[in-house]
Amino acid sequence: MSSYHRPPSVAEALRLKRELPGSSFIAGGTDLLVQMKDRVRQPTALISIRHLSELTRIETDGGARLGAATPLSDLADDSALMTGWPILGEALRDFASVQIRGSATIGGNLCNGSPAADAAPALIVLGARVRIAGLDGERLLPVEQLFEAPGRTRVREEELLVSIELDPPLPSGHGVFLKKMRTAMDVSLASIASLALLRDGRLEEIRLAAGSVAPVPMRLHETEKVLRDRPLTPERIAEARRVARDEVRPITDIRAGADYRRHIVGVFVQRALEATLEKGDR
Amino acid sequence: MELNFTLNGVPISCSLPRGSELLLDVLRGPLEQTGTKEGCGKGECGACTILVEGRMVNACLTLAAEVEGCEVTTIEGLAAGGSELAAEQRAFVEQGGIQCGFCSPGMIMSVRALLDRDPDPPEAEIRRALAGNLCRCTGYSQIVEAVRRAAELRREEAR
Repeated sequence: MSSYHRPPSVAEALRLKRELPGSSFIAGGTDLLVQMKDRVRQPTALISIRHLSELTRIETDGGARLGAATPLSDLADDSALMTGWPILGEALRDFASVQIRGSATIGGNLCNGSPAADAAPALIVLGARVRIAGLDGERLLPVEQLFEAPGRTRVREEELLVSIELDPPLPSGHGVFLKKMRTAMDVSLASIASLALLRDGRLEEIRLAAGSVAPVPMRLHETEKVLRDRPLTPERIAEARRVARDEVRPITDIRAGADYRRHIVGVFVQRALEATLEKGDR
Repeated sequence: MELNFTLNGVPISCSLPRGSELLLDVLRGPLEQTGTKEGCGKGECGACTILVEGRMVNACLTLAAEVEGCEVTTIEGLAAGGSELAAEQRAFVEQGGIQCGFCSPGMIMSVRALLDRDPDPPEAEIRRALAGNLCRCTGYSQIVEAVRRAAELRREEAR
């Protein structure tokens, strides 16, 4: 049994959070309320933040700033955001259902700390940062460093993730790809996001991230190493596919076996790199 | 706490003793609007789909307190003027888009939201829009047919 509070500002929300031990912030509630029904979490009080206009704005002015309590469908409907960072549209496509996308928020999806958070690999390769507010001020953290363990992030008990910040869209020539294996309503079995810049046949820049194949969404540093500053050839792609398979740390669960997930990661990495080759030099 | 919102065009005032009551429980309990069904209770089956400010939500994952000041539409409020069925409802009856009927209220609310957005959606769009509404009886084909028919009926009505 939880009481309900609707603070008028982020500052007030943070004060309430300190005043009410055992309380929880609630935005879309699509994960938290299920966890409460399952008695996984039983907050003494719910502090609603979804009405705070400072948390539900999408600002695109050069870079982008996404209010943490913005519903996923509002992001998908924002044409400036989808034009500048189309990989986000790919990440949100087929996410759960229309009903869930209309309530679930981008900040909530990250704070829930799911290894399968669909937006995470895309945000990681884009180099996105989260802004975290506390009573003593704000700090910025790369999305890549946000996740600690399944269900746990580096947002501390008395802090609130307030926005996600993106650098300006990449100059032309960069190839950005996202592949995921999921159907609506289910959880992704594996997903890969990649960002690449091919110049004179060499991969000048390469960032790869994977979801659903480790305790947290992860950057594929080892795979990047075999690719960076080298010519992108079919042999190199085959090697990257092998390294990616070995680099991820998937589990076997009811949705898929670990071996199968490794296989899929390899295939997705190969496809992302082949797409980069096909797109060609800048 | 006190909750004020509009339900199917009627202003409603009710009390929330705890504050964290779910909208589905308030609708089906004190407000006695049992058209909205509870299936899984976890946002997966869509039987509790209603419209808040025209937007599809799962009432089982919505705190009642969050609809303060909002316009809420449930299956009871779909047909304008009371007894007659709305185009979406008639289409489901005509095309056999119902069997046991448990998913129908939520399914039909999703169809209303879809057709408000796109009056003539292609099949892929229909299936995508209904991904969050599970039906265990029909196999969905008749439901897709019913949505097409509902779109036709609505266009005829609009003429």
